[in-house]
Amino acid sequence: MRTEPRTILNFLTNYFDIIRDLFDVQSKDGLIKEEVLNNILAEHDHDILNKLIEYKFFKKIANDYEIRPVYFKFLEFILSEFKPLLPETIEKYEHSITSLFKKIKEGIGKDRNILLQRITDLNNEVRDFTEAVEKNTIRLISETKELKSNVDKIDYREKVRKASFWIDYYITPLNSILDVSNAHSITNRLLDISQYINVRRLNFEDELARQQFEKLYTFLVQTNDDLLRQSKILTNELLPLIERIRSESLILTGWIEFLKNPNRTKDVPFVPKSLRTYPYNDSMYFNAKEFVDQFMQSYEVYLEDPELTASDKWIFNKDYYMTKLTQELPVKNFFEWAGKTLRSEYKEIETEKFFSLSTLLFEDSIELEFDANADRQVIRTSEMNLRVPKIKIIRHGLS
Amino acid sequence: MDFPRYHKAIVSDLLDGKFILATDAKFVELKNSADFYGKFFKETFDYYLDIKSDYAYLISEETMEMLSRDICIFIGLLCYELDKEGKNFLEEIQYAEFEYDYVDQLFDNTSYVDLILNNNQLKNSEARRQFFGTLNRRNIIDRSSSDKRFTFTPAYKVFMDFAKNFAKGKLNTTEAEVEPIIEE
Repeated sequence: MRTEPRTILNFLTNYFDIIRDLFDVQSKDGLIKEEVLNNILAEHDHDILNKLIEYKFFKKIANDYEIRPVYFKFLEFILSEFKPLLPETIEKYEHSITSLFKKIKEGIGKDRNILLQRITDLNNEVRDFTEAVEKNTIRLISETKELKSNVDKIDYREKVRKASFWIDYYITPLNSILDVSNAHSITNRLLDISQYINVRRLNFEDELARQQFEKLYTFLVQTNDDLLRQSKILTNELLPLIERIRSESLILTGWIEFLKNPNRTKDVPFVPKSLRTYPYNDSMYFNAKEFVDQFMQSYEVYLEDPELTASDKWIFNKDYYMTKLTQELPVKNFFEWAGKTLRSEYKEIETEKFFSLSTLLFEDSIELEFDANADRQVIRTSEMNLRVPKIKIIRHGLS
Repeated sequence: MDFPRYHKAIVSDLLDGKFILATDAKFVELKNSADFYGKFFKETFDYYLDIKSDYAYLISEETMEMLSRDICIFIGLLCYELDKEGKNFLEEIQYAEFEYDYVDQLFDNTSYVDLILNNNQLKNSEARRQFFGTLNRRNIIDRSSSDKRFTFTPAYKVFMDFAKNFAKGKLNTTEAEVEPIIEE
């Protein structure tokens, strides 16, 4: 009994979560094993196996199941999740398209119905071919973007492996199939065909065939545009994107290796340091001349000592001060005594005189006593402040 | 003998370790006289002049030069940390504007903390600001007028190429450890 189409569509809608899971399993594994099917049904708590079989959703293969291609393709389409076709699978269209085209040319003046059928078949093959290319491009874009966003946080090595896989097995071969500059590409074959069809659609005698040629021609023109667009996406977007992932990964590997021990790395890219230059000053000649000139002329030089009178010059009278000191023994603080003595005689303490008096301390006949740790005393002379220790003169050697 | 236009500025910029960028009028003159300048720098200073499509700079056999090592550490760490943040670091370096504060945040939380603390140019925020000044003078980054942000100039590619070559194992590592000497 034939099932009402709406019933099937409603069924798919109502149980779409299960259908989606089944689709994912088949996309991944190629078929659905019985236990996997049971698990999925148990998980969703709906036993719909009988309906799946009744609506011809499943085909039983031994104990396992397979989603029928018509449903699978439909799901692929509505989910935009296409299983990528290997380029060699896509390339088979080249053979079928070429052979149909050859037969159209050979049978152009022969049976009209066969010709019409061949034109329709060619139309279908070209459509299947472009759909396959489009599906692959969509899938490749989604794979590449996933790699780029790296939501799954896969490491760089895996990322590069995946990127290389997509480039080597899908993107590059697909690109060569679509490459207009490649004489053997399908795109070029389609261009040849459209040129031939272009002539036929204008001058073919049979009107119905002319209309079919016209239809095929319009379709081919559109197909060429589509393929060109797909090829551009591959060339302009996918290849650079994947190349970037590859190169990004290589760079990061380089940095990680470098950062392990940057000090040991000799050949880092050189950026020259600022050079110091030592050119000669342009006034060098004059500077040198000025310097040398001073030796070229000799003048007689006179040195004149200032006139001194005996009264101007203070002469230290050691005996006088020694006697004075001896008379005042014992002195508790030698420097204080020296200061007082000078101030009483000259009103101020001149440094030179103060130092002269200090030499008395070195006389053999003097015996000193002082505490090295005691606080120092400040004596203000005419030119400076002197920090001096307290020195006690206890006795005179002669006394 | 006639010298190319901007001759003096070209020579002094390159000897100062500056990258001459394609946006600079000097670049066109340099490119037009590439043969002359290539020979000039080789014969006079034993330096190699490398002119790419969007920048030019001098290279030497000099191995004690430390600034470029520090720039490598800086860019390498930045790439590593950006990647850790889940960003596409190449795109970021090529197009993004970096806030000093953001760089501080990345560098202050990096696992390469020892490497940073032992590097006088990178050890803290203040040192890094001075370092940015050096990079800016050399046209490796373009500092904003507010001195809070910067973008990389195309000169960053030199350092990416270095990392690529390093990964390919083309560079030799020496056994002798070179003591860090900070210049500039």
